[in-house]
This record gives sequence, structure tokens and C-alpha cells, in this order.
Amino acid sequence: MSNFSVGFRSLQSVNVLDLKGELDAHTASELEAAIKKCQDDSIYQIVVNGANLNYISSAGLGVFMAYIEDLRSKGGDIKIAALQPKVFNVFDLLGFPMLFDIVDTEEEAIEKFDAQQTAE
Amino acid sequence: MSVLSPEQISERFRAFSPGSRLGYAVLLALVVISFGYGFFFQVISMNSETQVSGSYFFLYNLVVFLGFGALWLLLHKSYKARSASPARVFWTMLLLGLLFISAAIPLTSFGRDAELIDVFDAVDEFDYNTGAPLVVTTIFKSTFLSLFALIFTLYMIFRIKDLVLFKRTKTAQRNWYLMMAAMVVASLTFFMKSPREDPNILQVIALIPPLGLMVVNSLRASWIVYLNFKEKLISISLSTLLLIFLLTSVDAGPLPNPSPFLQDLFVYIQFYNYGLNIFVMLGIGFGVLYCTASLLLLLFHLPTTGDFQRKEHERAVMHSLTELINQASDPERLYAQIAASPVEAGSAQASWLAVADPQSGSLTPQIVATNKVTPGRVSRLVDTVSLFSDVSASGAYIYLGEAAADHRLSVRPGDGFGSMLAVPLIAREETLGILFVTKDVTHGFEQDDIDAIQVYAAQAAIAMDNARLFEEQLEKERLASELDIAREVQRKLLPQHVPVVDGLTIAASNVSAERVGGDYYDFLALDDERLCLVIGDVSGKGASAAFYMAEMQGIFQSVSRLAPNPSEFLRHANAALAHSLEKNVFISAIYGMLNLKTEEFTMGRAGHCPVAMIDLAGNARYLRPAGLGLGLDRGQLFEKTLQEERISLNPGDVFVLYTDGVVESRDVEGEEYGYDRLLESLKQHRHEDAEGIHDAILGDLDGFLGIESYDDDMTLVVLKWNGINLASAQSNSVKAKKSAAQIEQKID
Repeated sequence: MSNFSVGFRSLQSVNVLDLKGELDAHTASELEAAIKKCQDDSIYQIVVNGANLNYISSAGLGVFMAYIEDLRSKGGDIKIAALQPKVFNVFDLLGFPMLFDIVDTEEEAIEKFDAQQTAE
Repeated sequence: MSVLSPEQISERFRAFSPGSRLGYAVLLALVVISFGYGFFFQVISMNSETQVSGSYFFLYNLVVFLGFGALWLLLHKSYKARSASPARVFWTMLLLGLLFISAAIPLTSFGRDAELIDVFDAVDEFDYNTGAPLVVTTIFKSTFLSLFALIFTLYMIFRIKDLVLFKRTKTAQRNWYLMMAAMVVASLTFFMKSPREDPNILQVIALIPPLGLMVVNSLRASWIVYLNFKEKLISISLSTLLLIFLLTSVDAGPLPNPSPFLQDLFVYIQFYNYGLNIFVMLGIGFGVLYCTASLLLLLFHLPTTGDFQRKEHERAVMHSLTELINQASDPERLYAQIAASPVEAGSAQASWLAVADPQSGSLTPQIVATNKVTPGRVSRLVDTVSLFSDVSASGAYIYLGEAAADHRLSVRPGDGFGSMLAVPLIAREETLGILFVTKDVTHGFEQDDIDAIQVYAAQAAIAMDNARLFEEQLEKERLASELDIAREVQRKLLPQHVPVVDGLTIAASNVSAERVGGDYYDFLALDDERLCLVIGDVSGKGASAAFYMAEMQGIFQSVSRLAPNPSEFLRHANAALAHSLEKNVFISAIYGMLNLKTEEFTMGRAGHCPVAMIDLAGNARYLRPAGLGLGLDRGQLFEKTLQEERISLNPGDVFVLYTDGVVESRDVEGEEYGYDRLLESLKQHRHEDAEGIHDAILGDLDGFLGIESYDDDMTLVVLKWNGINLASAQSNSVKAKKSAAQIEQKID
């Protein structure tokens, strides 16, 4: 019955998570599992593609908060890309753009990772 | 004339109630007196030359009939009706019959002169004209033969009654008593009859009703249906034996061949009392009829035994099932009932139930109930664990026809475990337990027994499964009731009424999607000039959100008194919450301060939905100063980004504070209510007071959604500034009064 799914794509050292549907209190665990899996695979650079994400609730936003510290401490990050305006507004209201890189396209997000890599 | 009180009457009757010694004694005395009297009468009539006069003969008949009645009552009282097995009934009748003839043979053959025997009647022993006995031995013979025959007949009738009235119906019971009455009536028509006369037409007619009813009653044999194949065979052989016995040993009047053993039995009885003779003949005739009918019905039902057995077991199982369901509230009793039923139903001699305990996790089967065997004995003699794993693995029963030969049982012959059956209790493809049943004989279970126990086990599994679901449901309800308490507590954390402030109207409401929610709003009058208000939304839903909401309430009520402005408050709140919030939890909030003196509204926004505001002219906008949600950043970033918004109040200004449940509620097509609709609704209703606007917005939202249930917690607070009335400016103060603010609860 869940109308939410996470798709995995692996691009070099970056994992792309394609979110589809509605991310709320009931489906948050699926995204958690996906991020955990990335961690287990020792991939700490994650791009979340929200092109097909139609809705996010505060519980869904909580998932990003739960893992970001851990990922950053391991030199990784979550970058959020291609959000629909309505979903972006939810991120924006809470001030997420201050805490995360939220960009227009997936390519931009990957470029940012690459730029960070070269900077280091 | 003294009238007995009911107590006295019942006292008197109690003397004759079954089991009372006095009743027995009185009846026994009556029997003895009657037979004694009969004996002396016979002696007198033997010695008198002429026929005994009518009145004496009447008295004699009356006394002996009373004696028979007393004997009947005596036997009836001492006879314990048991729902014995049919085989047992036939068996005991046969035994008593043998006793009867072994007592009667010496009597009939004693003192007979073989030379003088007349085939038709024993004229040698009774006077041809008067019917009086000729010698004393004859009197003995006729008296005792009559007594024995009556005892045997009555006993046989009682035994057959148990069978005829098995699973009794009203009709069956009526037919039975009618038959008994008709037999007695027929016997009474021969009341004063001399044994030398032939029956007249009236007496022959009187014999028709009992005979008819005997046929009807002999067809009542519903007990046959409940027998299994083996029991039927036993019943067939026993009823055959009894029939042969009745036909050969007891010379039942109408039969062509007189009994080879009991010569002229009925002649003796007839000379003793004609009526009794009729009764005994009818009784024995009924025995013959019933045996014949049973035999035929047994043979007729033999091939359909399996079908009937299945039907019967279905019925029995349904019955057991209702028993089980009654026990569903208590696992212990349910287990005991499951183990007891096979034994009670007679399908097994001992049984026990092993359950793999899901709580222990090790899935080691535990013996939870035993019947007719002790748990210690079971664990000593049977390797329950290996049997359990074997049965669970295959999901099918294991039948050990010779239990002693199986390596999983350390039993020797004589241990009472001749054969054993282990049937799994499977519900929803999970083996909940195994029912073990045993018999002391080897190969004790027929296939139809096994089938029946399997059906029963399936039902028992359902009952066990239901019991577990019931337990879970109870647990759920316990939780729910705790949540109900939590909701009550939470309601108390929300303001019970909105403050009353001169120049201001306020309306507020809160609805939780679940029993408890994460929304919070509150007001606090700091002094006569300043009113603080807050609205907050904890991320997530349910109990955890409710806890943080409670924490937020504590922070608001305490920090508000210290913080000079919204920014300061939010900074303190963020710092305080940083210690307690889970990583993935944050709180969005708006903190506002209304200064009545300076007529200003100052607000800070911590990641919360923007405040909708409108002025008298209808200029509507959202107030959205920058600010992070509480708990998102625990360092400098929060303070750096936080901004304040300051608004000079004009009469007619309306502020609407709300949680995302309002703007993000979606209709059936999935379209959100959204910010534009909220502003539009506000424009339309801006001229009403706060309560009117509040209700109008909720009404508009409900109309848009078309449903009465919300997916999210929803809070709506409306403030309308009307301006200070100068006359009361001095005395304006913040008071509280009851409001229409309602905390509703969404019923799922």
C-alpha cells in the first residue's frame, strides 16, 4: 500500500537515491533503510533526487537530520536535487537550505561533490 | 380437619424420595406383605373345596397388584439411569436374563412328573375347575417365578428405556410413557380373570395399543448413529445373543416353541395372576421387538458408519469448539480444555498438549496441559521434543500403532501407552502446538478416529490462535487506554480558554490526527501590557511528538517570563531543546508578542508556516521572517539566521497562526488546500470577529476536503485587533474567561 519508493543508482563514488511518491511518517523507514545501506556499503556521498517526490512531511525531513551528522563526520554529505516547488517550500520554511546543499539538478549536486573532492 | 402445610407435605414426600431409607423400607415391606398375602391366599384356596368367593378374589388381586406397583417403584428408585453404552445395556440385560433363568430353571423343573406333563398346560399342578394350586410346591413355584419374572421384565424395560430415550425428544418421551400406560391398562383388563378362561374381545382389543406403541418405540434407536464401526459390531453380537436368549430361554407366550429350559413359566405366572402374566409377556415381547429392531437397524447402518461418524464428529467438534471459545480468555483453561476434550469424548484414554512457546524464542515445546496422565510421566516416557520437531517439519500427524516399538518413546507394554497419535495444531501455517492422544491398546485408533481428532485439532488451533489474538487485542486496548490518558494530559497542557484582552478577540482550536499529537499553542499574559503567544509543531506524530510538545509547553511557560523579545525566547528554546531532542526530531514554532501599550505585534519564526495577516482594507500577506526550525542546528547558525518582524497594529488587523495540517490537507484528488485558499478565505471573512473568522476558515477547509477526518494534527489560532477603547485604556487588563476553543479529537 506504500506509495513511496527509493531507487538506487551508483555513479562512481556517489549514490543517487531516486525518491518517488510521498515521504511521510509511515514511509520514512524506507528512506532510512536506503541511507543505512549506503553507509553499510561505505558510500557516504549521497545525492537525493526529488524529481518524483510529490510530498514530504516533517517526519520525512527528520530522516535527513538523523544521518547528516554521521555522514559528514565520515567526509560525506547528502545533497538534495531537483525538488518540486511545493516540496522545496517545505524544506525552505524550516530553513533546510541553510543546512543542506539543495540544488536544481542532479548533475549540479554531483559536480559539487566533485568540487569538494578536488578541494581536498 | 387439619390441612398440612407445604413444608409438612414435602417432609412426608421426602420420606419417599429416591435414596431415602424410609422410602425403601416402606416399599420393601409392601412387596413382602403383598407376596406373603398372595402366598397365604393360595394356600387357603388350595385347601378350600370350592371356588373362592368374588370379594376375596378381588381383594387378592388388589393386594398383589399393589405389590407389583410397590416392586416397580422400588426397582425404579434403586435403578440409576446412566447414559451407558448400548453394548453395556445389552450385556447387562443378558446377564440378568441368565441370572433369572438360572433361578427359574430349578423352580420350574422341581417336582415335575415327566410322565404327566401335558404339553398345553400343567394341569397336574392346578385344579382344573378352580385353578387353585394342588400342592404347596406349586404355590412356591408360582409365587417366586412371578416375582423373578416381574423383576427381570421391569429391569429390562428400564434398560431399554435408556436406549429409547437416548437424545430424547418430547415425542419420544410421550410415546414411551404412553406405551407403559397402555401395558398397565392392558394388564388391568385381566384384573379378575380366571386363568381357565379365554380372553374376551375387550381384552384382546386392549392388547392392541401396547403392541402398536411397542413397535413405534422399538424404532427409536438414535444411539446407533453415535457408535463407531467396532462398537456397532459389538452391539450387533450382543443384541443377537440377547434375542436368541429371549426367544429360546424365556418362553414368550405367542411363540410356537415353548422354552426348553423354563417349562410352563407363563402358566405358573398366569395362575398366580393373569394380569401380571400379560404384563410380563408384553414386557418380554417388547424386549424381543427392540432387539430385533436394533439388530436390523445396526445392520442397516453398518455401511454408513463412516458418514455418520463424520457427521457426529463434526457436531461434537462444534460443541467442543464452543467450549473452547468460552475458554478463549484464559490460555491455561483453553489448554486444559483442548487436552480434556478427546478423553471426554471417549476418543482417547489419555492426552496432553505441547505448545512451542513463542515468548521463549527457543521454541522448545512445553507440555502445557495433560489429561489422565501426569506431566512427569509424559516427560519420562515420551521424547516430546523430537516428536514435536518431526510433526512440525512434516505438518502432518504421526500415528504409532505400536507405541512401544518407536524409538521416541521409552514405554514398555503395560505402561498404558499402547498406541499414540500426535496431531499438529496448525493455524495460519504455523504449528502452534501438538495434541498427543494415547490408548492402552495397540492399534487403538481407526482411520475415522484419526480423522475426527484431526478435525478437532484444526478447531483447537483456531481457538488457540484466537486466544492469542485476543491477548494481543487486550494489549492493544491497554495501550489505547494509556494513550487516552496521555490525551487527557495533553489537553490539559493546551490552554483551557483563550485570554480576554481589551481591544483583541482570540479564537483557537486544535485537532489531533491520532490520540495524541505534536501540535502546541499557548498564550501567556506577562503583565497588563504584554501578551505572548506561541504555536509549535513537533516533527512526526503520535506519542513521541506528544512528549516534546509537553516539553515545549514547559519551555514556553518558563522562558517567556525571562525573554524580553521573540528572538531571545527562540534562542533559549533552541538551546534547551538541543539537549533533549532526538537527532531526527525538530520543532517548528512561531513566537509572538503583543504589546497593548505600543500597539505592536512582534514575532519570530523558527521554521514554522508563515503567519497570514490582513488589514481592514483587505491587503493580505504572509509574514515570513527567516529562521531555522528548533533543534535543526545546535550552534551559531540558528542565532545568525533568526530574524524578527515588527508590525504596528491598526484596528481590523487579523493574524492567523496555524500548523501545516491546515495548508497541507489534501482533498480526494490529492490537491492541497494551500496558502492561496487560506488567504482568500481570510479576505472574505475579515470583517467578522476572531471566532467568526476561525470558524469560517475551518468551514472552508472542510468544504474543500469533503471529509471530516484529517491526516495530520491541525491547529488554528486567529487574533483580531480592534484597537484600544480609550475610555477603558487605563483599566485594560488581561483576564481569562471560558472560550469556545475546543480540543477535538479525530476519531479514526
